[in-house]
Amino acid sequence: MTNVTVFIMAAFTSPENIGTDPKSMLWLLPITTAVAVVYKATKLQTITWKNFIKEVTTLIGSIAVFLIITALVLYVFAWFTTE
Amino acid sequence: MTRNPKETHLLLLLTVGLCGWLIPGGGYFLLNEKKRAIIIFTTITLTFCIGLYIGSIGVIDPVGSKFPYAGQLINSPAVAIIGYHTRGGGYNVYGKPREIGQLYTGLAGMLNLLCIINAIYLAHLRRTKTTGD
Repeated sequence: MTNVTVFIMAAFTSPENIGTDPKSMLWLLPITTAVAVVYKATKLQTITWKNFIKEVTTLIGSIAVFLIITALVLYVFAWFTTE
Repeated sequence: MTRNPKETHLLLLLTVGLCGWLIPGGGYFLLNEKKRAIIIFTTITLTFCIGLYIGSIGVIDPVGSKFPYAGQLINSPAVAIIGYHTRGGGYNVYGKPREIGQLYTGLAGMLNLLCIINAIYLAHLRRTKTTGD
């Protein structure tokens, strides 16, 4: 087994270091992308790359905007109830 | 011996569902929807691998986390093989990485379930369109 293979396999045996800071919320982006890609792949009648990318980008954008608005509303609510 | 058309149809739906479970996107591949199959295979496999990378393969825990394991198992039967090796609890997994890892791997399974159901439905639609049943 080559060193590269061992290195790749070892990366899957110990967890990454992820804190509880706001930066960790960025892990939402890959999962949002996955949901958008699979959803559009199942919903579109015919898949042409140009149209598919456009549809996926729009869906990722709308999910992200919705999440940001929800986070802001929750933040304001928490701020009012704790101040 | 000729088979009953209903039996053949049921067999096709079962095969499509099984292929979709064995390999993500396999159901679509069987229906000659190659582009769709490639997109789904790549996305689901990547999401699952990102989950394993973040939390380690210890996030697949058939003993301690039965509920997330059920979702993860929908990805592919290969998850059961990983689960067999991780059931002893020999792999480090904790806190936030565990949470995010389980979320990614579980969601990949749920997305695959959506694809399996959709592929079966597509196979059913095609049959009803051709036979008019």
